[in-house]
Amino acid sequence: MAQSNLEKQLNILDYALSSLWRHRLKSLSVLLVFAAVIFLLASFQMVTQALSDKAKQVLTHTPEITLQKMSAGRQEAIPLAYRDKLAGIFGIRRVVPRIWGYYFDEVRLANSTVMGMAVDEMPEGNRLDAALAKGAMPGPDEQGRVVVGHSITKALDLAGRTTFSLFRPDLSLKPFEVSGEFSRDTDILTNDLIVMNLADARDLFSIPAGLVTDLCVYVANPKEIDTIAKKISETLPSVRVLTRPQIQKTYQVVFGWRSGFGSICLLSALAAFVILAWDKASGLSPEERREIAILKVLGWETSDILAVRFWESVIVSGLACLVGMTAAYIHVVYCAAALFRPVLMGWSVLRPDLHLLPRMAVGDILLIFAFTVIPYLAATVIPAWRSATVPADSALGG
Amino acid sequence: MFLNPWSLALSLCSLVVLVLGAVAAKTAVRVLRFWEPGSDSNRQIRLENEIWLSSTLVAYGLGFQIITLILFVLAADEFCQVIVGAMCATGALLANPYGMPALLVKLFGVFFYGFWILLHQLDIRSEHYPLVRIKYLALLLLLPMLVLDASLQTLYIAGIKPDIITSCCAVVFGESTGGGTNLITGYSQQGLLIAFIASIAVLMIVGGRLLQRWHAWLAGLYAAGWLWFFVLSLVVITTVISSYVYAMPYHKCPFCILKPEYHYFGFGLYGALIPAAFFGASVPLAGLVRGRGGLGGVVDRYQRLAVRLSLVLLVIFSGLSFYHYLKYLISGGEG
Repeated sequence: MAQSNLEKQLNILDYALSSLWRHRLKSLSVLLVFAAVIFLLASFQMVTQALSDKAKQVLTHTPEITLQKMSAGRQEAIPLAYRDKLAGIFGIRRVVPRIWGYYFDEVRLANSTVMGMAVDEMPEGNRLDAALAKGAMPGPDEQGRVVVGHSITKALDLAGRTTFSLFRPDLSLKPFEVSGEFSRDTDILTNDLIVMNLADARDLFSIPAGLVTDLCVYVANPKEIDTIAKKISETLPSVRVLTRPQIQKTYQVVFGWRSGFGSICLLSALAAFVILAWDKASGLSPEERREIAILKVLGWETSDILAVRFWESVIVSGLACLVGMTAAYIHVVYCAAALFRPVLMGWSVLRPDLHLLPRMAVGDILLIFAFTVIPYLAATVIPAWRSATVPADSALGG
Repeated sequence: MFLNPWSLALSLCSLVVLVLGAVAAKTAVRVLRFWEPGSDSNRQIRLENEIWLSSTLVAYGLGFQIITLILFVLAADEFCQVIVGAMCATGALLANPYGMPALLVKLFGVFFYGFWILLHQLDIRSEHYPLVRIKYLALLLLLPMLVLDASLQTLYIAGIKPDIITSCCAVVFGESTGGGTNLITGYSQQGLLIAFIASIAVLMIVGGRLLQRWHAWLAGLYAAGWLWFFVLSLVVITTVISSYVYAMPYHKCPFCILKPEYHYFGFGLYGALIPAAFFGASVPLAGLVRGRGGLGGVVDRYQRLAVRLSLVLLVIFSGLSFYHYLKYLISGGEG
């Protein structure tokens, strides 16, 4: 019995395929519109996912806890003396001061990120050399030496020389010498970055001695991050304590929110498509009515015709999914999601070239499937039933 | 937290299923009021056409519900990334009181829709449609279930606040906690495993006896055994089998086995268990309608098929559930 049932379904599938081929113009138009809707939704989903993956990847290298001093709701410089107050908290591996800010280049109208770090104090500071394409990180005593990112080299036109100058706030010039360049693999972090030692950064921004912009706290055991963060905020109430997991979750929520918002906008496209599918499926031409009537006279049952319609829908949606998702993948990977990047990322002008690589798990495919195929199947089922119950005599009678 | 693609997809699917259910219910009311098997009036012919529509709609609804069931668990797994303290789907589902009930209603809903389709399949095997009234009464009873499902899910999604602290699965299902998880922590692992193996053996023996010689009471016992085994299996998967899959003694979670890290092992496990329990439990249910006009032969054939299918799936399920355990023992672990 199972054998004959399978054979019957295969024959019905065969008939459904030939029926789709006979109405190829109609099928193709539905298929293309459907694929376009899936393409939009899938691209959005893939960009979101790739971006939140990227954020997660980037955040693994940040310090576990970052401390910033707040005054009147705004961030201001934090005294280095605060380090001593943290000395009593167990579990802190190291507290490293950092100066970071933006340098606006008025000639080239571009913002670059300046970071002054005590590389030798960072737990994995010596490994930073691995991120360089050439040269070495400046040592603590090497005044005026910097490591720059790719777009800085390009913007300052540093191809043939290694020296350049930046303006201090009082418009006097501070000379620098390039001692290394970051490799392109870390572009998302280092593209617009100038790294120097703490003293140079303090000099460039004219920050008084004994102050830095923030303190990075490295924690030995990641399970203690929350406890230590709590203790720090009790010891230093005026300080904003940011933990890495907190930042990570915030990124997730923001990307999820943006993607959800995008999906809501695309729902209108989906609704339009569902109406189109409903309309295409309900408008039965006299030939189609005749065809169904002949099948019924030949002994087909209502359930068989419903099965034909079901297979037709499954083939159309399966093909559309394949085309739409492949196109979305190409769009995201090779075109760097040119359509949606402005919506999902910020709006800064100097922007690294992004290489997004979405990872498609079964869950993500199922999500896109639930978003698109289920409404389509639901929209075609009632028209399918209407066509399946055409009375044989009325269609042939004329 | 509605502005998230997973929440939107779940809500959209629920909406679609509700619409399909409402259209089917319209037919159900008309059938219950106007069905006259002997008549050849226009209305009766229209109704006979409409029962095809309603059964197709319920079949679609069943398919969609199975997809939303999977989607719901995966969504919970996705939500855990934004809920502080939740590390996997367990934490996300326990983040508010509607998560677990929504999951259970979805899970048992799949059984009920399946039973309805079984009734329909039996019904259309006979020319007189002897089960029409029962079937449509059952359909009307399914409707509140659909509404309950959709409302629990909506309440759950609405209640997710990305900043509340929940326990991760290592704490909830771990040995050290009591309270709400008594069922899962009350028994020893050894005892559970023995009960699990004994239940498999009993089900095999009863199923084998049933195929040799049919007794109504034995069929009832078989179905009851399956219901017991289904619940027991869910407990055993959570407390014993899952930690062997993860190769971590304190990670006891029934949802993480669905993830790609564990090669989607859970889909195989649940994909064998749920249909097996369905076929096993449906045996006496089909027997209830044997007396109706002309269904005797059909019911007999179905019952034998269901027993055979459930036994085959039981073998697959047991093989899958012991695979990691045996692999661990053979590679030198201590039992």
